[in-house]
Amino acid sequence: MSPTVEGTHPKIDSMSLDAFAAGSQLFATGAAELSFHLTLDWARSVLGDGVRVSRAADLPPQTICAAICLVGSSTALSERLPGGNEPVRVIRGLERRLGQKIGAVVALNLDAESALLPVITAALLGVPLVDGDGSGRVFPLIKQSSYTLGGVSATPLVMAGPADDVVVLDTAPDRVEELIRPLVLALGGWTVTACYPMTAEVLARVLVPGTVSRLMEAGVPGAPRSVAAPYGVRTLCRGRIVAVESSTGHGMDLTLPSLPSSIVVEEREGLGRLIRLEAHNEIVFALADGAMVAMAPDQICMISTVDGMVVDVDKVAPGLEVEVMVVRAAPVWHTEEGIALGGPRAFGVPL
Amino acid sequence: MIESRGRRDWEVPVTVAELVNGGPLAGARMWGTGENPVRQVRIVDDLATLGSVPPHTAVVLVGQAASGGWAVEMAMRRAWEQAAACVIASSAGMSAGSGAGLAERLGVTLIFVDEDPLVTAVRVASAAARPEAARTQLVARCATRLAEAGPSARRVLGVLNSELQGNAVALLDPWGSHLAGRRAQGPSLAEVDIPDASGGTLAILVAHGSFQSPGWPSVVNAVLALAVTPLIAWAAIERLAAERDVALQSALATRLLTLASSRTSPYGRIGDGGEGAVPQGAAQGTPPEADLEASGDGTLARAVALRWPVAGPLTAYAIRPHDADLDDLQMIGSVIAATVGPGPVLRREESWAGWSALPPERLAIRLAECLAALPMPCAAGVGAQVPDLGIMDESLLGAEAAAFVSPAGVVARADRMGPAKLLAALPGGVLRAPAQMILGPLLSVDRDGTLLETLTAVLDEGGASRAAERLGVHRNTVTTRLERIRAAGFDVDDPGTRLALHLAAHVLRSRPVG
Repeated sequence: MSPTVEGTHPKIDSMSLDAFAAGSQLFATGAAELSFHLTLDWARSVLGDGVRVSRAADLPPQTICAAICLVGSSTALSERLPGGNEPVRVIRGLERRLGQKIGAVVALNLDAESALLPVITAALLGVPLVDGDGSGRVFPLIKQSSYTLGGVSATPLVMAGPADDVVVLDTAPDRVEELIRPLVLALGGWTVTACYPMTAEVLARVLVPGTVSRLMEAGVPGAPRSVAAPYGVRTLCRGRIVAVESSTGHGMDLTLPSLPSSIVVEEREGLGRLIRLEAHNEIVFALADGAMVAMAPDQICMISTVDGMVVDVDKVAPGLEVEVMVVRAAPVWHTEEGIALGGPRAFGVPL
Repeated sequence: MIESRGRRDWEVPVTVAELVNGGPLAGARMWGTGENPVRQVRIVDDLATLGSVPPHTAVVLVGQAASGGWAVEMAMRRAWEQAAACVIASSAGMSAGSGAGLAERLGVTLIFVDEDPLVTAVRVASAAARPEAARTQLVARCATRLAEAGPSARRVLGVLNSELQGNAVALLDPWGSHLAGRRAQGPSLAEVDIPDASGGTLAILVAHGSFQSPGWPSVVNAVLALAVTPLIAWAAIERLAAERDVALQSALATRLLTLASSRTSPYGRIGDGGEGAVPQGAAQGTPPEADLEASGDGTLARAVALRWPVAGPLTAYAIRPHDADLDDLQMIGSVIAATVGPGPVLRREESWAGWSALPPERLAIRLAECLAALPMPCAAGVGAQVPDLGIMDESLLGAEAAAFVSPAGVVARADRMGPAKLLAALPGGVLRAPAQMILGPLLSVDRDGTLLETLTAVLDEGGASRAAERLGVHRNTVTTRLERIRAAGFDVDDPGTRLALHLAAHVLRSRPVG
């Protein structure tokens, strides 16, 4: 199955949704999660004729666009089911705050549920989905986006939870993380969040372009995994996880959702190196025999050699056979500002 | 004991292993060989500064550079790139984890210390700056502890093994048997002789273990040399005590023989308590005390201290007084010890016994001197030479039998003893009267003794022909004389009287002895 193409732009319809969903799993975790299947069913039920995928530059320049993502725990999403109108409420909330109509939605990142929620939102509102996202990969924090790097504020930010609440957050961008953590809990554990309101003209300048259509191509059965990595991907090693330890020395003062851990992989081939993956919510850097071989903002992920699925750093166990891959981040992340926002220091690693 | 060449060795830089095994890092956990010399110390807080560390540096990680396992691994990698001597970090909150594996992979020595790494850094820096002072410090500490240990082989070896960690120090007898300390295999690192009073070798102090630095063997040698005097003192005290106390000697010798014969293995393995030898470089093993307990209560060590021969071909002897009234034990023991030479002197039943490393011929000569020196009539026996203590009992029994059949003043050798010797042992004085009575009828017709001579010859040789040959007469002469003997009432062909006749003839023919 190949994505439906309308002119030069693809369209996400019931046919191509599966490919897009599969593509969003290639370098991200969560495929086996109940919440992902639930979100996928939700998307199928609201898709109708499909969602138009449009390049930012092809939209009228003054069109107001909003980034959509899931904030909170995906487990909570599977336990406290959505009412179905959260995307609409969050967009209406943002429109009321801005006094302007939202003309298009865009993804903050393309990780599992966060890839599907913009599709659902676009379908419910009948607006196009912009081909691209604010990351090109996944970061744990809202501020860690190419939009921030392009000078766009994440606020005003609107959150809609499963209990009919809508919260409008009007604050300085660096206060966002601090405020939304307790709010998410109060709102029911998860929220659909709309943020980074901006014009299509600005969005065209700050987004990582073409990632939606990329994932639609990469998710087609038989397509190589590397299609999902437009800036390059390499295999660091193939080996067996020999130890999973709690780690120290980085990120203790950060408010990241999970605790630092350290995963040791023994290389099966070649030099038989010891690869240490230091993880804090995600793998921040990799050492091979003590030498730095990969680090954020490039994305380091473990792919199980059994089923080809990405292994969640919080669910990893010794004995697992994995392939450690490094996905090169978009060029914007390799600028000085990009490294400051998404490099190891952003995860509290003093490197 | 320390030669000038040795002193120069002390100035070569200390190695990491030396710091851990005998120096300021004693007790720290080490992964890797530790063979690199340490020339300076660098305290590293920021991993970036590792790039400017010169070779042979001990890198002490603090702060950020020691903040986690990953940081230590990165430091090890950079240390390897800079050819640093080792990486030292605090053990607090650190698991050996893959750091130990990496130490092996890269050949970088990793050390975890329990104390504040900054304190460690200062101590390592001082040892690196003045290696001779660091080594002298170790030797001085050993000297103090040896002085405290006093003249006890067990305690001296305990001190040596606890101070020279990573090495195994043992006290061996001159034949290589283990006496005390920690056993090890392979080439020795240092050896020091413990001399006896006559300038020979009483025992050897041997250190095994890893060659930790070019300076290390001479340091070990110096430490071993410090132990010579207390060990000589220990041996002398043991000998004095034992020589004063014959009962103690007997008990010790009995225990030694029991120990030796209870081993199925050759004697050279006595004291092998069953546990394996300490592998080279192993710092932690059986404590020296336990090792000593295993070697039969230190029996062997004490025997060696007394200069008793405990290995090699050995020969037993026995000395039997002919008069039972011999209570001056001390005097007899002293005379035997003075004439026979080093060895135990034991009381066994009616006799005195012992063993010597001398071959039977030379031992017999010494015993003859001893018999001459003793103020009362005694006989001596020499046993057969045996290869080790395990079958010493055989040699002792032989010696006792030989002494028993030997007349006073004579040294009999069990290995040369035949039936004739038994005859020689007959108490001639006692039997002479009955013999004369038995042979009375013959003697009354035998004016010149030719009949007795002929009777003896026939009985000795077992026939008239050979008797004629021995006497140098014609066979018919012998036959004629036998007719006259038979006429006197003695039938040499009668089996019932033949032995008694032979004995009587033998007693009357032999001269009185004693």
